[in-house]
Amino acid sequence: MLHFYLAGINNQNFLMRDRETGTWWQQITGKAIYGPLQGAALDLVLSDELTFGQWRTESPSGQVLAPVAKYTKEYDSNWEPDVAKLPVVISFPGTELKSRDVVIGLTIDGAARAYPWETFAKQSPVLDRVNGTPLLLVLGPDGKSFRVFLRRIDGHDAEFFLQANSSADPAAQNKDWTLLDTTTASQWNFQGCATSGPAQGKCLARIPALKDYWFDWRNYHPDTTVYKR
Amino acid sequence: MSVPAPSTPQLQTPQTDRQGRRISFCLWTIFSLCALSAIALFFIPTFIIRPFRYQAPRALFLAMSLRQRAPLGTLIAALTCFVLAFALWRTASRWRKALLTLTLLVVTFSAVVARLNYFEWMFHPIAGPQFLAQADSKLDPKEMIMSVRLGGDARAYPISQMAYHHILNDVVGGVPITVTY
Repeated sequence: MLHFYLAGINNQNFLMRDRETGTWWQQITGKAIYGPLQGAALDLVLSDELTFGQWRTESPSGQVLAPVAKYTKEYDSNWEPDVAKLPVVISFPGTELKSRDVVIGLTIDGAARAYPWETFAKQSPVLDRVNGTPLLLVLGPDGKSFRVFLRRIDGHDAEFFLQANSSADPAAQNKDWTLLDTTTASQWNFQGCATSGPAQGKCLARIPALKDYWFDWRNYHPDTTVYKR
Repeated sequence: MSVPAPSTPQLQTPQTDRQGRRISFCLWTIFSLCALSAIALFFIPTFIIRPFRYQAPRALFLAMSLRQRAPLGTLIAALTCFVLAFALWRTASRWRKALLTLTLLVVTFSAVVARLNYFEWMFHPIAGPQFLAQADSKLDPKEMIMSVRLGGDARAYPISQMAYHHILNDVVGGVPITVTY
């Protein structure tokens, strides 16, 4: 088992080292770039970026990392807008997006695609296909959480759309928020599981995706395509 | 490199005088090289891996390879510098003594800081992470978190905290993970 610590910065993507071997690892790729374990790669664990409110409804017995009392003054809830103002050191002029545009990046069998957050949030749910793989990108009921799924039910490609939400009460939003698929006409929740209809009890497979700045995503995925609606 | 003329030249043959000069020259050269290595081992990687600066791939490679060798390298170089400075001290002029002292200070600084992680002075790591039941958390429902679910265990890592600490080693559902932001 390795223990990692922050060891430096490589064009605004951090470098970590493990205490056991001193190997250098790149944050975004999980790859060992220098040292005794060079060439090795860490396994990516499926993770989510959600609002605390969304996660709370999904994980009633879940645990939350406690703030460290000594540093609570250093925590910045406005972190994202603050960082967005900072300068960048690499840029890709002539590409579709600006350096600090936020994208959802994903890779299917080596083919990378970036979904500009603005476009995605306006259009959600986004139905797309990368390398022949049918994808569903969906913004959560809170308008901030997101997930990406393989839109295939029992081996059949399916299309999804958002069922109109009749409730104006934010507390009920999560309950009323429903996706419908056109193949089985089942209802699906934000966790990608069918709550009613012929597919009830089934869940869509998850696709790992990363919320990142365009410059960083483009730097590590030079052949990435950019989704256009 | 010249050594001040001995005050009692009549007691020394020209032969030993020349030899003394040569030895002194050698010691000063080795001292300078050791001092430069110690300083380079610390300052070159520090300079290359600066935040908000572009890191060229080859420069980064150089920085990592020097940083990897810095803890041991600066120690050997610094110890050698101290031994040589001791040997050179008696015959050195006042200016040279000042130069020796200043160099030893910079070399010591390099050897000490090369064993410390100054990135963790800016972003303190979480030593022993504590967790709260979600009902006990005072987090605003609109705040963003990163979450994982492994072996039936669900964990949330508030982004406001992770954006400061940047990295956390954890074990969730028996799986050792490192959480980064």
